[in-house]
Amino acid sequence: MPIDLPDAEHGPPIPLWRWADRQLRDLATVTGSERIAALDGLTVVGERGSARDFEIRGRRSAGVGGSHLNPTRDGSWFALTIMREEDRAYLPALFGKEGMEIATEVEIAAEIALHDSNDLLAKGRALGLPVACADEVPASPPVEVLARGTQRRRDPGHRPLVVDLSAIWAGPLCGHLLWLAGADVIKVENPKRPDMIRSSDPLTFEMVNQGKQSVAADLTDPATRDRLVALIRGADMVIEASRPRALRHLGIDADALVREVPGLVWLSITGHGATGDAANWVGVGNDCAVAGGLARALADATGEIGYVGDALADPLTGITAALEGWRAYANGEAVRIGFSMSAIAAKALSEERAFDRPALDAELRAWGANVGKLFPKVPRRSGLGPFRDLGADTEKWLGTAPAC
Amino acid sequence: MKPGTRLKSAACDTEVMVIRTAGGTIECGGAPMAEDKPAEAAALSPDHSNGSLMGKRYVDAENTYELLCVKPGKGSLSVDGVALVTKDAKPLPASD
Repeated sequence: MPIDLPDAEHGPPIPLWRWADRQLRDLATVTGSERIAALDGLTVVGERGSARDFEIRGRRSAGVGGSHLNPTRDGSWFALTIMREEDRAYLPALFGKEGMEIATEVEIAAEIALHDSNDLLAKGRALGLPVACADEVPASPPVEVLARGTQRRRDPGHRPLVVDLSAIWAGPLCGHLLWLAGADVIKVENPKRPDMIRSSDPLTFEMVNQGKQSVAADLTDPATRDRLVALIRGADMVIEASRPRALRHLGIDADALVREVPGLVWLSITGHGATGDAANWVGVGNDCAVAGGLARALADATGEIGYVGDALADPLTGITAALEGWRAYANGEAVRIGFSMSAIAAKALSEERAFDRPALDAELRAWGANVGKLFPKVPRRSGLGPFRDLGADTEKWLGTAPAC
Repeated sequence: MKPGTRLKSAACDTEVMVIRTAGGTIECGGAPMAEDKPAEAAALSPDHSNGSLMGKRYVDAENTYELLCVKPGKGSLSVDGVALVTKDAKPLPASD
């Protein structure tokens, strides 16, 4: 696919877009979907930054607030993302210093310079902050089988039913690709805590959730949870991006469901893995990309460290999950597959280096040389399917509450 | 005590990270917590044995104290004998 050269206003293509594009070609092959075949990698990794007029900002991630990279005492770089103002309450504990909750970016950077990266990582992850180090090695495999059940044979032409419990970008993008490929997708949200980008980033929300049906379900209510589990037992695939502990606390046992329901494919998206200590770590697109080595790759190619793309681990993971999920579904497998965003970023980087290192390095250099420019413009995909209001399909899929 | 300090229970396996603190005594299972485990374990008080949950944040009514459980155990957390409660889960972040 030809790509436009950067113009005066807009930056160069987002590095790794060709890796994303190759995964989409594979997805088009396994699904036989013309709509997937018509989609390109540059659009999928770039449509959020393009729609929102994001700017390439070097050591600051694109978008509001965001993530910052700062040097540590031991010569590495630490990425700290403050996503919610209330997370500032944890900065004193992170740095072992009173008063940090009102610290400026300059004061936070000065504090990071006094600590070693591994100490900051350990403490930040225990505190539940999305943190990363430019030189860490992802803790988990990119794609991991977590549980298996019995196979199911489906009639030819069966239309898959997907229950999408995820939020923000990676999981919903996976659901969107499955929808493009012909699945019925039901997006499930807690009415008290809907997907936050519904209001904060409606452009992206509508892009990756168009055509999905909408169910509102508060899973802390046991009767509602039981009806959702019943819906899952009749479904073909589940997409979920909560921390494993959160799911267990709700009384939903993904592994048990996969063992019990023939042919159920359960896709678990995490920042850094679904097992061991890493299962408790929080990770979002920008810091997971740093943990996967993308900021270090930019430094190696240009001499200046910085963020590559916009939350790049998110779309790379969404595409990977759709591809692996559809493959398992097509084979009739019952399987729970874990996707680690940091490890998928690392895998994409290493595969792209093996595929065409000079082209990748040239793109990284162009990215680094265009700090201050807007993200590349890609076409906005909207109006592909009806857009449903929150909870519009709750009764259809969950029925009404039984009388007490 | 500095924020970020890790404290261990004298009566069970519980470990916490101090997020916010004031002058009171932080206890678990009815016994004061410390950076090191005592040579001899303290008895688990039946009044403070509801357990601590991994990853949960525990606060007092005034929000003066906040402890993050980094290792669960059988004892429950208190300050000067008053039980702490888990902080309600906060909404997920808006964007990245």
